[in-house]
Amino acid sequence: MKYKAEVKVTLKNGVRDPQGSAVDTVLRRTGLEDSANVQVGKYFTLTVTADNDKDAKNKLDEICNDVLSNPVLEGYEIGRLEAV
Amino acid sequence: MKAGVVVFPGTNCDRDTKKACEHFGWEADYIWHDESNLDDYDIIFLPGGFSYGDYIRAGGLATFSPVVQAIKDYVKNKKGYVVGICNGFQILCETGLLPGALSVNDNTRFICDVVSLAASDDKMPEAISLPIAHGEGRYFAEEETLKQIQQDNMIFLEYQDNPNGSLLNIAGLIDRKNNVIGMMPHPERAVFKETGNTDGNYFFKLLEAKIK
Repeated sequence: MKYKAEVKVTLKNGVRDPQGSAVDTVLRRTGLEDSANVQVGKYFTLTVTADNDKDAKNKLDEICNDVLSNPVLEGYEIGRLEAV
Repeated sequence: MKAGVVVFPGTNCDRDTKKACEHFGWEADYIWHDESNLDDYDIIFLPGGFSYGDYIRAGGLATFSPVVQAIKDYVKNKKGYVVGICNGFQILCETGLLPGALSVNDNTRFICDVVSLAASDDKMPEAISLPIAHGEGRYFAEEETLKQIQQDNMIFLEYQDNPNGSLLNIAGLIDRKNNVIGMMPHPERAVFKETGNTDGNYFFKLLEAKIK
């Protein structure tokens, strides 16, 4: 079966996010928001082949840990996961 | 003495590195990223640049190339030295051959400058200056890893005036057990007097002394 998945990768708590801070500064300067706490991350969509939901989830965990994120700096979240 | 200079799509310091090696009378070959036989070499350089476009993360995808897989065996079997410069340092951290990771500079900018460094190896002068050129050079590791790094005396180069927010002012690391060195500064850009700085020579001479 094919599964389509969404993955979000963001910096771990405690890892400084200079890109997020830069966007925060812009929001403050433009008067749009005073403390938006912007966090910049990455968004992926991908399709994996697996026998069932559980296998698909396991495969995605492996892909996220090994390739899509660097566990030293980043955490990941598997969003929508659906058979297609 | 024979050096191999790894070339990925997107590497751009390969020629400087090869020229620097040849300046010291070493033999030097380019090694394409799909090569996996490294038996001929006393030292392997992972030079600077933007391997595979630095897509996803700096050095992130290069980790999965045949040559980097071969470098892991090369290190494990103690065949010689591995030196990662700039993008090469990022690759070594991504691969786990050195601890920690390199993240976006504190000021979010690409920094191109010459920096003062403290060198820990007693065969190098205590203070040298070398060029840097990177957007992702802020060294980061968990507290425990940082402690281990200090305990194992792994800090090879330290920024005197930290340009990018690196923890412990780390500019370069050395794993003495496994002969792996990673550094953000570019010694290969400071070899010839025409470039206005020849402090990189100290590094190449150090390598020569270690290997010969």
